Amino acid sequence: MAERSSTMKTPLNKALAQRRSKRRYSRRSCGEGTYLGYTSGRQTVLKIPTSRKKPKSRDITNQVDPDQVALLVKKEWHLSYVTPLYQFRYTMLKTYSKELSAFLVSEKQQGQTIETGQELCFKVNISVVLGLAETNQDAETIYIQILSKQVFAAKDEAQKVVWSGLLTCINGDVDYLRSLPPEFVSLPLLCTSGPESLSALVKSWLKKTFDCCFGPICITSTNLQWLAALWTGCHPTKNIQYLKLAWTIPTQPPMDVTYKVNPQDVWKLWDSARLDDGAEDSINIEEVNSFIRGLQTHFFRHFRLDLSAGSLMRVSTALGSAHHSGKIKITSPDYMTTVLQLLTECALLKMPI
Amino acid sequence: MSLLKPFSKLPELNTANILLVENEEQFQQILAETIVLLKKNVNVNVRLARSLPLPIENEKFRPRIDLVVFIINLTSELSYQSAEVSLKFLDPDYFLGKVCFLVTNARNASVPPERLISVRKLVASLHCPLLFAEDQMTDGVNTAAHRLLAILKVTSGHVPMATGLYLSSLTRCTVPSDIDQQNFD
Repeated sequence: MAERSSTMKTPLNKALAQRRSKRRYSRRSCGEGTYLGYTSGRQTVLKIPTSRKKPKSRDITNQVDPDQVALLVKKEWHLSYVTPLYQFRYTMLKTYSKELSAFLVSEKQQGQTIETGQELCFKVNISVVLGLAETNQDAETIYIQILSKQVFAAKDEAQKVVWSGLLTCINGDVDYLRSLPPEFVSLPLLCTSGPESLSALVKSWLKKTFDCCFGPICITSTNLQWLAALWTGCHPTKNIQYLKLAWTIPTQPPMDVTYKVNPQDVWKLWDSARLDDGAEDSINIEEVNSFIRGLQTHFFRHFRLDLSAGSLMRVSTALGSAHHSGKIKITSPDYMTTVLQLLTECALLKMPI
Repeated sequence: MSLLKPFSKLPELNTANILLVENEEQFQQILAETIVLLKKNVNVNVRLARSLPLPIENEKFRPRIDLVVFIINLTSELSYQSAEVSLKFLDPDYFLGKVCFLVTNARNASVPPERLISVRKLVASLHCPLLFAEDQMTDGVNTAAHRLLAILKVTSGHVPMATGLYLSSLTRCTVPSDIDQQNFD
C-alpha cells in the first residue's frame, strides 16, 4: 500500500522533527543503504501478515487480575484506532481520572440553564490492566470506567457503570513501536462500550489531552476469515459449540446468508485444510483461504449460490463474535490475546502514518 | 478452448471495437451506454461479456476486438477470480497493449487491502495498464469512459504515430517495492 510507505505523521514541533531526522540519518548510515530510495518509510512499513501463530490457550487469569478480566469479557466493544498518545504518563492516572470527570460534567452542563434535578455526577476510574501485554515493546493496557451517581444520592446507593473503554496494544509491530519517539505511548486499539455520546466526549478529551486522533476500524473480510480459522483451531482444547458466518450478497434487494456449522465438522474441515509442510504452530493465509473456500464450495453445491460474490459480515462462535462494522465480543478469556493481537494489527494498518 | 485473437480479422473502416468483461454485469452496462453516447469521430462498438471464452457460434459475426477491458469490482472476491480465469482465453498478442484493467470500489473501506495488492500484482505481471473508476457518480463513469475511449483510439490505430504497445509500455502498472517487501519474511 502506497500510503503505508509514506513518512510518519508530521511531528508537532520543530525540535521533534530535528530529532527524528537525526535518528533516521544515523540509522541509514548503520547499513540500510540498500533501501536508499525508500528509507523515509522503511521504519514504518507495516506488513499485512501472511502467517500467524496458532492460538494457544493462555490462562491470563494467572497474570491479570481476574476481576479485571471479568470486566473485559462478555461485553460488546466498538473498535477504533488511536494514534500514539503524546506525553501520556502511567504515573498520572489519578489526575487524568479527575480531569476527565470534570470535563464530562462541564460538557454535560453546557447549555443547561435550569437545574433539572436529574443532574448527574460522573466518577471516572482509569486503571492499568497489568500483565496483558505480550512483549516488552507493548505498552500496558489502560482501562477506563465511567460511573454515574446522583449528586444527592444516599451513601449506600450503588453506582452504575455507564461507559467503559479499553486502550490496548498486544504484540504491536515491533519495528513501528521502536521507531516512535520516546514522548509517545502507542496504544493503537480503543474498545468502547456504552452510549455513543459518552464515547465522543471521552475521545474529545483524549484528543485534547494527548494530541491523538481517532478513526473507526472495519474488520475486513480477510480478518474475519482469520478469526473464523483461529477460533476453529481452538476447538480441540475448548469447545466452540458452533461456527456461524453471515454473508451479505449484493443482489437486489440484498440477501443475507447465515451459515452455521457443527463444530466437529468444521474442525475436520480445518484440519484437512492445514498443510503438512508448514510448522506446527503457525497458520498460513493459504490455509485460511482454502478453509473458507471449502465452506463456500459446500454451500454452492447445496444452494447454487457463490458466497465469494458477497462479503463476509459476521463471524461468531462460543468463544466470541466479530462484526464487519468493527464490533467485537469476546466470551472466553483464554484466547483473548490472540483476538486482541489481530485487532491491534488492524488498528495499526488503518492508522494514517 | 477458443482463444480470442487480435489479428485474425481485418479491421473495418473508421471503426473501433471495445470488449468489456465483468462478472457482475452492472457497471459494464452503465459504462457501455456512456461510451456510446460520447462525442467521437470514429464509430465505436461496445461489446459486453460476462467472462471469456466468448461463445463460438457468434465467432463469424464478431468484429475484430481492439481493446479488452477487465472490470474488477474489489468488493467481491468472485469478480477478481473470474477475471483471472478469463485471462487464459486471450491470445498472448493481446497483451502487447490491447488489454487494460479497470478497478472499481477501491476506496471502499470494507475492502481488504490484500485484494488490491493482488490485483496490482496480477496486472503488473501482465504489463498492462490499471485504471481506477468511481462507479457511483455520473462524473466518475464519464471519466472512466473518456479514459477508455482514449486508449481505444490508440489501440485501434486511429491515432497517428502511436500504437497500443507504445502506450502501454508508458502506462503499465508497476508494483512498488514495498509491496514486495511483504513477502520478505
